[in-house]
Amino acid sequence: MRALVLAHALAFALASTAAVTPSRAQQGADPLPAGDGHDLVAVACSQCHYLGTIAKIRDGAPGWRRYVDNMVLRGAQLTKPEIETVVAYLARNLGPGMNLPPAKPVALPDGPGKDLIAERCTLCHNLERVVAVKRERKAWPVIVADMVAQGAPVTTEEAKTIFDYLTANFGD
Amino acid sequence: MKELIKQYLDRGLSRRRLVSGLSAFGLSTVAAKAVAQNLAPLGQGIGSGNAATASTAIRTIEGNGGKLFVEQLKAAGVEYIFFNPSTGDHPIFDALVDVPEIKLIKGVQEGAVVAMADGYARASGRTGVVIVANIGLPNAMTQMVNTWKDQIPLLVAVASVDQDALGRDQWQETDHHELMTEPITKWFWQAQSTEAIAETTRRGLKFASTPPCGPVFLSLPTNTLAQHAKTQIWDGSKFNVPMRIRPDKADVEKAARLLIEAKNPLLSIGDEITWCRADKELLELAELLGAPVAGEMSNLGYWSKPFPTRHPLFIGTLLRTMRFPGKPDVLLNLGNRWGEIAAPGTTLISIRLDPTSLARQAPVDLAMVADLKLAIADLTAAIRSMATASRLADIAEQRAARTRAYSAQMAELREAIGRGLADSTPISMERLGIELEKHLDRDTCYVADVDSGKTMDPLMAFGGDDKQYFGTGPNVLGWGMAAGFGVKLARPDVPVVSVVGDGSFLFSGPQPLWSMARYKAPVTVIVLNNHSYNNERNRIWNGAGRQFEAARDMTCYNGNPDVDFAKTADAFGVEGETVKEAAALADTFARARAAMVEGRPYLLDIHIKREGLGAVSQWYPPYSLAQQRTRKV
Ligand code: HEC
Ligand code: HEC
Ligand SMILES: Cc1ncc(C[n+]2csc(CCOP(=O)(O)OP(=O)(O)O)c2C)c(N)n1
Ligand SMILES: [Mg+2]
Repeated sequence: MRALVLAHALAFALASTAAVTPSRAQQGADPLPAGDGHDLVAVACSQCHYLGTIAKIRDGAPGWRRYVDNMVLRGAQLTKPEIETVVAYLARNLGPGMNLPPAKPVALPDGPGKDLIAERCTLCHNLERVVAVKRERKAWPVIVADMVAQGAPVTTEEAKTIFDYLTANFGD
Repeated sequence: MKELIKQYLDRGLSRRRLVSGLSAFGLSTVAAKAVAQNLAPLGQGIGSGNAATASTAIRTIEGNGGKLFVEQLKAAGVEYIFFNPSTGDHPIFDALVDVPEIKLIKGVQEGAVVAMADGYARASGRTGVVIVANIGLPNAMTQMVNTWKDQIPLLVAVASVDQDALGRDQWQETDHHELMTEPITKWFWQAQSTEAIAETTRRGLKFASTPPCGPVFLSLPTNTLAQHAKTQIWDGSKFNVPMRIRPDKADVEKAARLLIEAKNPLLSIGDEITWCRADKELLELAELLGAPVAGEMSNLGYWSKPFPTRHPLFIGTLLRTMRFPGKPDVLLNLGNRWGEIAAPGTTLISIRLDPTSLARQAPVDLAMVADLKLAIADLTAAIRSMATASRLADIAEQRAARTRAYSAQMAELREAIGRGLADSTPISMERLGIELEKHLDRDTCYVADVDSGKTMDPLMAFGGDDKQYFGTGPNVLGWGMAAGFGVKLARPDVPVVSVVGDGSFLFSGPQPLWSMARYKAPVTVIVLNNHSYNNERNRIWNGAGRQFEAARDMTCYNGNPDVDFAKTADAFGVEGETVKEAAALADTFARARAAMVEGRPYLLDIHIKREGLGAVSQWYPPYSLAQQRTRKV
């Protein structure tokens, strides 16, 4: 693994963190969808780590902006106008519901809210993320409100249906 | 008279005959003896014991091994011994009763002892001396990895098993225990006799402080410490001789020419500049060339920031390919282990203190092994000698204009990002960075042992007349509080702040606070408490494996139990407080400052927002031992 890091001259940032080293295969293929701004992202976001994870994240523009701002503080070389291009590209091509990667099927128990969740709560991540673990009953309304703030397209009534369903079926 | 002295130096003449000979030339006996004494360090041979006794630089003394060890350290100018005692090393501490020149600094866990000595060595440029128990050596070794990788001089000694008992599987004996230090020391040795202790100590000090520096390990068998012998003690000046290497003149001229003619030069800088105290020379060279400077900004792998981060020529983190200023035609790497980046069309010049990692990762076109301070000064002089001042000023101005515009734009952008994230609860890392920049004095030594805290570094000013940054390259956590203590010891007259993560704090445990309290060290400790191994999780999840897919943070959430670090400090007699709101920070810093004025440590447990992938998650794999029981016992 060390040899690989060195071969890719990545040592400046990652040599001391054996945790994540992109494999050759991961580095080789371009995982990003085509679109305006692709080339900028491919260059400016591949200096320190591979692009594979970015391609697996779905988020709204505010979420993407937060990531990109964080990367600028870490040393990504992007000017202000370029940040706008990058965020626009990411939100458009890797926004809610866009180019969704295949996900592990998850069977939800029947009940009001089931279809809503299967439809709206899979736009940015898979269902496994939602229901893999039981949570405190009082945590669910907070999480759903959080998701709405992140950009989940649900009305206030739909949100209530969703957290009631989750509290009943996945509350602890 | 000259001839007499020559004969004496060549050992053809005894000291007594030298003195009488000098008297014959009309010198008083006192003056003749003084001359003989001054000559002694050079001339005394093993046979001329008297000369050695009379000499101040080289003396023969008698005592047990502990005394010989201490006397040799004293003669080398050692000011502090960082320690945790064992039974076998008592002759050393017995000897110290009568040697007030060396101060004893106690730590209550060996990792803390090493990190204190390491911080002291980084800040003072001197060798840290450590004595710990034989069986505590593995505790010490964790922190020795930082010392080793960052090439900091350290002498670590233990009292080991009696030589007669070696190999008998005694209760605390492990065979050839010194071997375990092999991969993280420059040299390790077991003293073979009492007589050899002083010489072994000299050699250890010498190897530790010969660049590239590093830790050295000495094993001193208990019988060698307890038994008596007569041996020489040498002044430090006689064996810690200057080893600062000047680069080859022709190579320097070649580099100077390349740098003058370059269209798009780039300087890459690293920690060896800090170690060589070459920051002023670097600034002068960068300004003379008008070349952009890239190095450490917020990434791992470095322990210092040798160039002012607010300087218009500083462009931040050195990346594999730099979008600004574009591909350099000449890349000048100065003392940066990670700075040799080869590319077609780039001429790579690398000047390094450490020959072992020079041209190790990438092919280098022009390589020089040298002390960075001397090398940069020579390079600057060579450049000045090759072109008129006005031509150089023109070249620098053309190059610098573009860089100034870029760095100003990026500084503004970073500040805007920081401001945009300033109002949150828990407090954002960025807000804390902004507040620290506002409240810390410019001459603060900022000691950082925190992983994700690196995103706040770019919102602060380091280097030059601004805060001096101390971290570790390998990021072996549990270093920061103890190292902060060591920095304060080396620099009592500047403010010292230690910033550690909640994870980092728990790696050292609170033990460094014990030394801070005992020695009344006015150090402000800031625990950047995000209840998580935050950046560890970011790296793990950034690999997009099963934890990421299933959103299950199997390893990094720390919030349960929710450790109260201020309460922990209280147990050690260190005042502290918990801060949960950004609005409370200003008053908090004022109270910390008051404690510093009073001359005592102060701890702030600041609750910080987790950031990045999986940051929202508070889940961890549940398991209750209580529930496993079939009996309520
Ligand atoms: C200067 C180096 C650097 C550049 C350039 C960079 N990143 Fe990162 N990125 C990091 C580091 C460091 C991490 C933390 C995890 C790690 O070390 O892998 C990270 C992690 C991430 C994560 C995981 C979430 C997190 O905060 O840990 C995302 C998403 C990400 N980067 C997106 C991007 C995007 C989009 C770009 C281009 C705008 C980019 N990165 C450019 C250094 C960089
Ligand atoms: C606009 C994008 C988006 C939508 C739509 C969305 N989420 Fe999320 N969700 C996120 C993000 C971003 C995270 C945090 C991911 C991370 O940090 O790894 C997340 C995380 C979660 C988590 C894990 C929280 C934790 O504590 O670990 C749960 C549960 C969740 N979402 C539930 C939902 C539910 C229920 C819905 C439907 C109402 C939903 N999400 C819709 C973006 C979204
Ligand atoms: C002694 C040691 N053990 C383990 C690690 C692996 N490690 C790297 S970062 C990290 C978590 C750091 O947590 P914290 O200090 O709270 O920093 P944060 O990222 O949360 O700011 C760990 C455990 C290490 N670097 N050093
Ligand atoms: Mg933490």
